[in-house]
Amino acid sequence: MTERLDVAVVGAGIIGSATAYYLAARGLSVAVFDREYVTAGATGRCPGGIRQQWSTEDNVRLMMKSVEIYEGLSEELGAEIDFHQGGYLIVAKTEEERRRFEDQMRMQRSLGLPVRWLEPGEIKEMVPQLDVEGIGAIGAAWNPTDGYANPFKVTYAFASAARRLGAEFHLFTPVRRVVVEGGSVSGVETDKGFFGAEFVVNSAGAWSREIAETAGVSLPNRPYRHEILATEPVRRFLEPMVISFHDNVYFRQSHAGAILGGWGDPNEPPGYNLSSSPKFLGRFSRLLISYVPGLRSVRVVRQWAGLYDVTPDAKQIVGEVPEVAGFIQANGFSGHGFMAGPITAKLVAQLISGEPLDLPIEGFSIERFRRGETGREASVVG
Amino acid sequence: MARRIWDHPILDFERGEPLKLIFEGREITAYPGESVAAALVAEGVDILGWSKLRGRPRGFFCGIGKCSSCLMVVDGIPNTRTCVTPVSPGMRVSRQRGPPPIPDVVPEFDLEREEVDLAILGGGPAGLSAAIAAADLGASVLLVDENFRPGGQLIKQTHKFFGSRENYAGVRGIEIARRLLSEVGGLGARWVLRSSAVADYPTGSGHRIVVRRPGGATLVDARAVIVGTGASENMLAFPNNDLPGVYGAGGLQTLMNVFGVLPGERALVIGAGNVGLIVAYQLLQAGARVEAVVEIMPRIGGYFVHAAKIRRMGVPILLRHTISRVLGRERVEGAEVVAVDDSWRAVEGSERTFDVDMVVLAVGLTPSVRIPAQAGADMIYVPQLGGHVPVHTPRLLTTLDGMYVAGDSSGIEEATTAMLEGRIAGAAAASDLGYAPDRAERVISEAQRQLESFRSGPFSSRVLEGKEMVWEKAREVIG
Repeated sequence: MTERLDVAVVGAGIIGSATAYYLAARGLSVAVFDREYVTAGATGRCPGGIRQQWSTEDNVRLMMKSVEIYEGLSEELGAEIDFHQGGYLIVAKTEEERRRFEDQMRMQRSLGLPVRWLEPGEIKEMVPQLDVEGIGAIGAAWNPTDGYANPFKVTYAFASAARRLGAEFHLFTPVRRVVVEGGSVSGVETDKGFFGAEFVVNSAGAWSREIAETAGVSLPNRPYRHEILATEPVRRFLEPMVISFHDNVYFRQSHAGAILGGWGDPNEPPGYNLSSSPKFLGRFSRLLISYVPGLRSVRVVRQWAGLYDVTPDAKQIVGEVPEVAGFIQANGFSGHGFMAGPITAKLVAQLISGEPLDLPIEGFSIERFRRGETGREASVVG
Repeated sequence: MARRIWDHPILDFERGEPLKLIFEGREITAYPGESVAAALVAEGVDILGWSKLRGRPRGFFCGIGKCSSCLMVVDGIPNTRTCVTPVSPGMRVSRQRGPPPIPDVVPEFDLEREEVDLAILGGGPAGLSAAIAAADLGASVLLVDENFRPGGQLIKQTHKFFGSRENYAGVRGIEIARRLLSEVGGLGARWVLRSSAVADYPTGSGHRIVVRRPGGATLVDARAVIVGTGASENMLAFPNNDLPGVYGAGGLQTLMNVFGVLPGERALVIGAGNVGLIVAYQLLQAGARVEAVVEIMPRIGGYFVHAAKIRRMGVPILLRHTISRVLGRERVEGAEVVAVDDSWRAVEGSERTFDVDMVVLAVGLTPSVRIPAQAGADMIYVPQLGGHVPVHTPRLLTTLDGMYVAGDSSGIEEATTAMLEGRIAGAAAASDLGYAPDRAERVISEAQRQLESFRSGPFSSRVLEGKEMVWEKAREVIG
């Protein structure tokens, strides 16, 4: 490799693959490096939810833009991605939650999101199998334009489109070091040798902190295991994604009929543990059955875990770090990378090619932690 | 439809009082001890369901709960494996088109807990021998099996075994199963039948195993576990390979030899290894015609005696031939066979059609290794052993503390070697848990000696090659 790349992207998940696509579409030379394969990390382990109901305005705006992209993505990339807007039903169990949701819905509506409050009877009407009384739901926040897509199909569609436009994917090729010379990135040192690059995008998910460290950049991100399972397929009965911040639980039904869902253990320590636990299997199964008693006779067929790349305010880090020119972060998504992926990747491509940005990204800068100006995203689940 | 066998040269089908199932609104006769799927096939129901995506008819195939062709709604519970579900009077059974709805009735679900020294997954020749060896040395043993009739594949083996006298030479498989089961019972081992071990979580000091059983689940905390989960049948790619009437060889043996059900009159057997040759002979015993045994290789893979026996009875063995397609819409109505050239391509103009209603696939097995793979044991791909197997030592220890493997799930071989491996694994597990280590080591070395002698024949050279690869990997990983 003698020619210098415009951009080296670290990580072939949704962020890296989509970034490669938007960069290649702008005529830039780009190569993606992954120590494993496309979707090997959190992308291939996530349930594929796409939500716009957030507690902070910048996240609502970002996710609304992302949904705009998702709506036309199948056509743009020429591939089926199973995108489906069945809505997100966020169950409220306490009066405190109801008040918080009402405040948030006011803000979300002011930004144009068609979100509204559902009374228990309306929830029942929407999903008759949900045991509304049993779980003690007093209502729900409902946004019909939320939904899901298939993370594998989306990411492979981005990667294939990027390849068609000339992007290279170096899989099973770990990046050992981001090389910095005179305050600017000069490329990446990999198991296949050195690749010179004008820009390096760090989209390595839960391993982003380690990648950044090789360039002398310190990120506040921490990896947290989140477990998830899938049942055998049953006839479709569940249109929306159902979530509860109170129970820290989410579940949806896949195109093929499987129920996919997870529960976040509040006592999970940070670390790279990717094993499946019997505790999760038991806790989540019990929770799921309390929400949908009919699932009691439906078998679990798979269980796995992935890593959230969590920042102190549960918001992503996007943009160039001031101490190393050309070193762009696109990580720290804290469990929301799939839904934020397309728009984030597009913003990164706009940033690198010097175009005006679709949305301001100052709020996602690493500098906010250094200045102590964080506005915590409260609507985190799983 | 008279598909139940009443006269058989070797087997005695004692059927008891008939009972009635309600199959999609009509009454169907069944006999106690039959599986739901076997009873339906016996009464002429060949289509047990439809594929989820294309709605193609599906029939009985593997008969041991592996292939998912027979999933039905039984008493309101969807996706029930009817081949491992016993009939009971008044049971309501219906077929599924597409994914079934979640039931309106909320069934009971109770959670039990068990603690035991040694959990053995699979009650076939390997698991039974392991249980006997371990219990005899003093370990407490819990056996888990998916079927309601334990014994694994032994309970359908009507032929007499080869080998040495100390390993049941000259005894039929069904009789070996009886002896092993009674020995296991005598040693006080406990059983969980009709139950699947669905997950194994290593805990550091042992294994927590989730066992799904009818009406609930059992959490088994075991200090050690032996995986003796056997194998599943291989499929072959040809048009209409999924039509009802295409059976796995083991599946057909289950129907004929366990339940006494012969689902057709004329058969074509694909594969002239031991399994293909034996199932052809068993078809003749059950009263069917065998039009041919088809083998793609230029030579017979099984023992000469098995081949000679069916040839004497007029069954042609077509070497360098293979099945090219099955004819029929709702079930098998015929099969087309072609000759192949030196590069395995079909020879043009060599097509021959056989008027058969059964096509029996005896084209090999794949080790069932989901539990060790899920639990995190190192796996290795060894074609000589039938696919992915857990890396294991000659003592059958995997790379996970306290997890052993034996029988076909450690590499496809045969029942005799499965029993010897089971004995080694059972004794090794007991010894490693501190039970009579001196005596255990003697059991292990004696069984290893017999295994070596059994494997010294030319038929075992490929297996030995595979085992050497596995042992070498184990030396690298475990030391």
